[in-house]
Amino acid sequence: MPESERQKMIRQYAAGDITWRVLRERGFENYVEVLAGLGELGLRPPVAPMEGPNVEARRRGRAIIREALLARK
Amino acid sequence: MSEPFSLIVTDTSPLFTLVLADALDVLLRPGLAVTIPDAVYIEATRVHGAPGAEEIMEWINAHLDVVRIVPTDIGIDQQRRLEEGRSIRGLGELAAVEALERFLRGDPAAEALLLFEDSDVGKRRAIVDERVSLISTGDFLRELEAAGLVQSTDYILDRAAARGRNVEKQRKPGEDATTRGRFRDQLLQRRDASNMER
Repeated sequence: MPESERQKMIRQYAAGDITWRVLRERGFENYVEVLAGLGELGLRPPVAPMEGPNVEARRRGRAIIREALLARK
Repeated sequence: MSEPFSLIVTDTSPLFTLVLADALDVLLRPGLAVTIPDAVYIEATRVHGAPGAEEIMEWINAHLDVVRIVPTDIGIDQQRRLEEGRSIRGLGELAAVEALERFLRGDPAAEALLLFEDSDVGKRRAIVDERVSLISTGDFLRELEAAGLVQSTDYILDRAAARGRNVEKQRKPGEDATTRGRFRDQLLQRRDASNMER
């Protein structure tokens, strides 16, 4: 894969436009390759905005973690 | 929180992000049992010298009381494919689905929390089962940050990317039979222990 194409995909990934699954389909073998690409470009792994089909499931997930952390304090 | 919860790691990416940031221990902070499907574990550790692989294995072994590797049929298929030199891409996720089904079937009161890679979590098919919730690595870290248990989510994510850049060039291709052998031993020990409990 040409370096320019690789970097383009990494930028799209960092922006949340494409997913790790898509990167894998397009030739990235290992997530460390993705982290390396992000590091080279001075980017970080994306944090998905609270939108999309799984918002409720994600809200529940965060609430579970919050509750579990509170219970351990 | 009285229900039996389990945090199921659905893919290698959260493991790599956290291990390269030296932050795997954050997974233990909520006090939930951590489940790693066998295929995810193999995918994360099978390449000798791969960044983070040894640390992931050491970390799991150091926390066997709360971190469980779950044998799956998909994992067995993965072993076969590895031996035949075939692709194992995507099997980790399938193993996670199998582990989830087993977990929910085994206990009607059980609830699962699936740890996903960040950008994937927003675009997946909707999870409709009320007993299944989702958390992305970023959301997970943000909750810890809000609770004052990590200083900065961005720092951890930056560190993972920076270390990924540094270690990627040192990767050594090729599979490590030792790691796979150790994994088989570990699974056998778990099965033996499980049989003795019955």
